[in-house]
Amino acid sequence: MKLKKYLTLTRAGIIEALQFRLSFLVMVIGNLLYLIVVYFLWKAIYASAGTDVVNGMSFTDTLIYLVLATALFNFMEMYTVWEIGRNIQSGKIVLDLLKPMEYRKYLFWSYSGSFVTQFFLTFLPTFIAVAIVTHGAIPLGVNLIYFVLSVVMAVSINYSIDFLVGTICLYTESIWGINIMKQVIVLLLSGATIPIAFFPEPLKTIVHYLPFQSIYNAPLSLLLDGNPATETVLSTLGTQLIWCIIMMVISKLFWKFSLRQITVNGG
Amino acid sequence: MSAIIEIKNVSKEFKVLNRREGLKGSLKDLFSRDYKTVKAVDNISMSIQQGEIVGYLGPNGAGKSTTIKMMTGVLEPTSGEILVGGNIPYQNRTKNAQEIGVVFGQRSQLWWALPLVESFKILKDIYQIPNEKYEGILKLYRSLVDIDPLLHKPVRQMSLGQRTLSDILAAFLHDPKIVFLDEPTIGLDVAMKSRIRTLIHALNKERNTTVILTTHDMGDVDALCKRIVIIDKGKMLYDNDIDHLKSFFGSYRTLKIRIDGELKEQATLIQKELPQFSVSANDEWISVLVDEEKAKVIEVLGKLQHSYNVKDMQLEEISTEDVIKKIYEEGVQ
Repeated sequence: MKLKKYLTLTRAGIIEALQFRLSFLVMVIGNLLYLIVVYFLWKAIYASAGTDVVNGMSFTDTLIYLVLATALFNFMEMYTVWEIGRNIQSGKIVLDLLKPMEYRKYLFWSYSGSFVTQFFLTFLPTFIAVAIVTHGAIPLGVNLIYFVLSVVMAVSINYSIDFLVGTICLYTESIWGINIMKQVIVLLLSGATIPIAFFPEPLKTIVHYLPFQSIYNAPLSLLLDGNPATETVLSTLGTQLIWCIIMMVISKLFWKFSLRQITVNGG
Repeated sequence: MSAIIEIKNVSKEFKVLNRREGLKGSLKDLFSRDYKTVKAVDNISMSIQQGEIVGYLGPNGAGKSTTIKMMTGVLEPTSGEILVGGNIPYQNRTKNAQEIGVVFGQRSQLWWALPLVESFKILKDIYQIPNEKYEGILKLYRSLVDIDPLLHKPVRQMSLGQRTLSDILAAFLHDPKIVFLDEPTIGLDVAMKSRIRTLIHALNKERNTTVILTTHDMGDVDALCKRIVIIDKGKMLYDNDIDHLKSFFGSYRTLKIRIDGELKEQATLIQKELPQFSVSANDEWISVLVDEEKAKVIEVLGKLQHSYNVKDMQLEEISTEDVIKKIYEEGVQ
């Protein structure tokens, strides 16, 4: 069976993640601290604005958005760039290339286990906590289905971008700077650090034409909009699908091209 | 018997940036297009049969790893042809991967945090090994080594020897036609080395797996390889039986004797008596390197016994290590 080949890697990822109990605790604490910072920062912003609603979002809206964005980030971040970079530097990539599987798939499925663990250990608890604390400010209905669909595509887009950036490591052989740059760009332009509603008009337009907003902004707006118009849903999911395909093709081709360069010129 | 690996006139060139010295030089390098071409492998041809164990030797930087990488499909040759099990490796890397197993002595393909048996299960699924075949090979492993204590031990807690052993078992798991072993015994103690050699030998026999072994340990070569290939600076120096290698430089044997008197003085005297051979003195022994084409060892001994009081004697065959050393240092001429 073909799928088993991949699912076994997911399974291994889950078991592997469960070996390191302490790292979960540290991560939960780290997240908590970040959320506290976010809470006070935005409280101050709303206090200085003088109105209850800024850019069409109330304080509660913004907070829910950012808390869920953080949870989503923990869930989706795969540290692919790190992994590729480290594998290249240590030479372990040779062993991975010799698996009877495309490297792109191999890496993705090796990490997919962390989706499962992160979903249950960080995203779901955060989601439930937010839902309880805000007394049902998160609408629970058909939007959940849209959200799940949207997240699946977001994961794919995010991975393609990561893989693309990771491929650059084949040329630079350094990881740190590239990874930081990627992270800042993705988090900012995707609306994970500041909701896109707060962006100035020109930037909003630019962001609209970039793939990043499909990663965080798209699933979160679908989730938080209690009664989305069919048109909005279709256009959001449609845009995501298009980016999904475009980024997948680009990252695949770039990897293929780069690998050829490496196999021809040596690395 | 048909050739499982066919290499014809393969060369591999790398482009290397000419680096300059110092800070200024490094800054200039950022914009430099000044490449030089380095030939890592130069016109190598060989043909390896199914079931052979071939020792692939050469000093550090000779081009061994490059050749292996080309055979596994990670590198593409600049010119020449490579066929591994009928495939062109770099064009069908994924397909080729199904047919080969790899062990790099320095790193592990196993899942670091997981018990060995989990790694085996993952590999079983990745390589799509059918259940009965998997069970069969585990049974074989059990008969060869005591793996049960290893199976449930996380790889990160294993000693280097246990890890290498596990890595070798993992490489043979999907019953590949060829296994590449790159310095499998590096850093291991004597007992472990011998266990690993026995294991490789048994697996080769049992499954008729072709084994390409690179190593710097002549013990590995003596224990495992019938045939050896030596390369240096990318060029092939030698490709033949190991027995043939020993007679390669004439049939030398070392005669060691122990006699009374001051060692150095006696050695000089003997050297005068036997001008055609080289005589040296170390550790209480006087050694005479006898070329058997010129005189029989027995005759030399008789001659010495005639004029000296020989208290003890030893006869040493020239070792593979000595021959290889000689080849590395002098080349084949």
